[in-house]
Amino acid sequence: MEKQDCVEPIIDTFEERQSHMCIKGGGLSLPECDKPGIPGTVTQRTCVFGGARIVLMPITDSIHLVHGPIGCASCTWDIRGSKSSDSKLYKKGCSTDLKEKDIVFGGERKLYDSIIELHKLHNPGAIFVYATCVSGVIGDDINSVCKEAQNITGCRVIPVQSEGFQDHNKTKGHWIGCDALIDNVIGTSEPDQDSITPFDINIIGEFNVAGDLWGIKPLLEYLGLNIVSTVTGDSKIEDIAKSHRAKLNIVQCQKSSNYLAKKMKKKYGIPSIKVNFFGIESTITSITEIAEFFDDEEMKNRANNLIENGLKHLDNKLEEYRERLNGKTVALYVGGNKAWSLVRAFEELGMEVIMSGTKNGIKEDYENIKNIVKEGTLIVDDANSNELRKLLKKLKPDLLISGAKEKYIALKLGVGFCDFNHDRISAFAGFKGFLEFAKEVDGAVSTSVWNVVSTSIYDE
Amino acid sequence: MSVNVYKRDRQVIIDPLVTCMPLGAMWAVLGINHGVPLVQGSQGCSTFARYHLARHFREPIEIAVSSFHESTAVFGGKKNLNISLKTLIQRQDPELIGVITTCSSEIIGDDVYGFVDSNKQELKELGYDNTEIIPINTPSFAGSHFAGYDNAIDALIKNLATPNENIECDNNINIIPGLLNPGDVNEIKHMLDSMFVPYTMLTDISETFDSPLNPKKQKTPYFGKGGTTVNDIKNISASKGTISIAKYAKTGAETLKQTHKVPAVTDNLPPIGIKGTDKFLKTVNKLSGYDIIDTLMTERGLTLDLMADVSARYLAGRKVVIFGDPTLVTGLTSLVIELGMEVVMVTTGSEEKTFPTDIESISKNQSIDVFSEGDLKVVEDYVKDKDNGVELILGSSEARFINYDTGIPLVRFGFPVYDRVGYHSQPIVGYRGAKRVVEMVTNEVLAKYYEEKHWKLQQ
Repeated sequence: MEKQDCVEPIIDTFEERQSHMCIKGGGLSLPECDKPGIPGTVTQRTCVFGGARIVLMPITDSIHLVHGPIGCASCTWDIRGSKSSDSKLYKKGCSTDLKEKDIVFGGERKLYDSIIELHKLHNPGAIFVYATCVSGVIGDDINSVCKEAQNITGCRVIPVQSEGFQDHNKTKGHWIGCDALIDNVIGTSEPDQDSITPFDINIIGEFNVAGDLWGIKPLLEYLGLNIVSTVTGDSKIEDIAKSHRAKLNIVQCQKSSNYLAKKMKKKYGIPSIKVNFFGIESTITSITEIAEFFDDEEMKNRANNLIENGLKHLDNKLEEYRERLNGKTVALYVGGNKAWSLVRAFEELGMEVIMSGTKNGIKEDYENIKNIVKEGTLIVDDANSNELRKLLKKLKPDLLISGAKEKYIALKLGVGFCDFNHDRISAFAGFKGFLEFAKEVDGAVSTSVWNVVSTSIYDE
Repeated sequence: MSVNVYKRDRQVIIDPLVTCMPLGAMWAVLGINHGVPLVQGSQGCSTFARYHLARHFREPIEIAVSSFHESTAVFGGKKNLNISLKTLIQRQDPELIGVITTCSSEIIGDDVYGFVDSNKQELKELGYDNTEIIPINTPSFAGSHFAGYDNAIDALIKNLATPNENIECDNNINIIPGLLNPGDVNEIKHMLDSMFVPYTMLTDISETFDSPLNPKKQKTPYFGKGGTTVNDIKNISASKGTISIAKYAKTGAETLKQTHKVPAVTDNLPPIGIKGTDKFLKTVNKLSGYDIIDTLMTERGLTLDLMADVSARYLAGRKVVIFGDPTLVTGLTSLVIELGMEVVMVTTGSEEKTFPTDIESISKNQSIDVFSEGDLKVVEDYVKDKDNGVELILGSSEARFINYDTGIPLVRFGFPVYDRVGYHSQPIVGYRGAKRVVEMVTNEVLAKYYEEKHWKLQQ
């Protein structure tokens, strides 16, 4: 595919967007990225507040209180399909509901009262207080309110300084969420001496969307690892508080959480390994690397067993999906991490990734994408809805992988769609998850609805 | 017996029933043919609303944003708006842009009216003068999504309705539907079409939020099918009258009455249930002069027939809780009472001054607990209190956990409904909508309260 064939008609009206799209090939340079979007476009991006919220929200025994007008809470509560094996408290949508009067006189009193009420009603593990654009602009000092409320209630009350307009990139919000944990939670409790083992680990950047964690956990436990905490999927605040004594951090979503792993390395000396449990090869590599890190013969044997059994389990069932999916094409338009970590998984299904793009990618993400995709793949940064539509029309992939906002853009164009975002309902991680993934992808691509869609009433 | 009004007994909102003003304004603007909302604020302000709307309607939702960042909060949003308008017109060539303010742009004191005015001149010089640009004030801290919708409709009328002696009037009436679903707007259109009444829907989301799939004809930029044209709105000054279905969306109708002497009917019951629909049709008849025809009376009769079939045996006396937008709650309360059921509690997330008195006027000899400015926690506590004996909940998908926890059936209606399909494309208004509500309610009651072994009860 020649660059001019593909890119130029897409961005015919805006020269400044040319540099945000490129084709992997001889003279490839990375797409320009991490720049503010053009005002006036229908962006697929979100805000810093949203970024912080999705990192912290999966902490199941905590209350997430949004200090702002009602919309910031009501459009985002329960936005992440993170599952819980116990408490459902994290699914509540709490807002201080700032009104005109509060904008003039300040909302600190209201915030304080709200925290006290929530503590009385729910006795949560922690109360996270999120700053929004509004509380930022009116200058409410949420730090001191949280401190005071914490003294009175004895409950952890944690400020999250996540004013929405802080940055064009919601990744900054992820970091702010991570900062709230490293500054206020991690290292604030000590584990029981009896519970400490040589194989204590934390899983960082796994949010248990659709129950992914539950696909990964049995694998790790079989290896003999002791999971101290998951940050933050299906977690409780006390477990995260004790996470500083782990021997290793394994990092699943590097986009949101490598930042935290680095900070934990600096503060507590915990090394980290980047892992990826999406796809067969990635799962095998992750298991092998963890076993190698601990350099324990027993664990290495178990790892081999695990891989052998996992593959045995997969082979027969996968063939049927592979037959149908072989040669089909995929476009990825996802968060930074998935834009490269999913590529192999599709290749393992016999599919070809012809486009990969992200909304909030940074240079490192695009380097990772470049390293993993084939020659001729289109790499796109921050495509808005118009561009996305034009790209789908031009490239005609059999499948788009993205989130809820993009879903209907694809379907209206007759392009199959599979959710790999917060709204997904099947767990895709590990060997079993890969089968689920294959099943869902096959459903999206091979559904007979597309046969009907392509017909006309005048057909024979 | 009457209503007992309670206030929420705490400061914090737990599980909100309302969302923000900009979302309501986006709803209104998206009902315009080739209309695009432009949000003057942070990316989250457009993205989360798009997500919310896309989940409910299962449609692409196109909302542009001027992408505020930290420097904007300091230096103001003039530059962002300037670039945004040029970008949007150059790329989408819309008929109309609704410039929707947000909390942050309002607090930093952006003068959107001034910005738009100065931009219009510049855009004209660039040759871009085909797009109407309408500023809409929607600071979320000043009201809920209903208020945002109301502000948007009012802004459209103020900016577009032009006095024009030459417009041929032809007994046209204007309808402000409020935040109704495509199925409801279509049902209102069906009633008006049956009577041959010409009308302008302000605005018409029936097709923009429910668009056909036809990949071969799919264009870029994307605009949903249908919608009210800018020209139609310009001509509304010559109409015979305006009916606002929702009380919270009456400001535009009042403006049109003051500025162009178009009669406004804003205090009717919504056309939900028999009485509400009767009143609506009589109002249409009075304003337009067109007769209510037999087809509609047949529909009325069919609905009454079903109501008589099921009311006494399955529904009478069953206790119902209703929450959601004030107009829908009022209308459904009326319908549920017509069915002989007992409404025990209602709430709406916003502070609508006349809401308790509206409920009181419908309540007859029932005693209803009305919570003003409630949230879902209020509903949850009420429903879970066994003394209240609640047997049925009418409300949005947000109550699904109450349904799972208690087993009390939830009939979904309003916004948002994202865990079932078909709810937005089918009506609850009009006689046919009432019939559908009766069917849904009765089926839920049958499924829950009548066991299979007692199958004869179901006849």
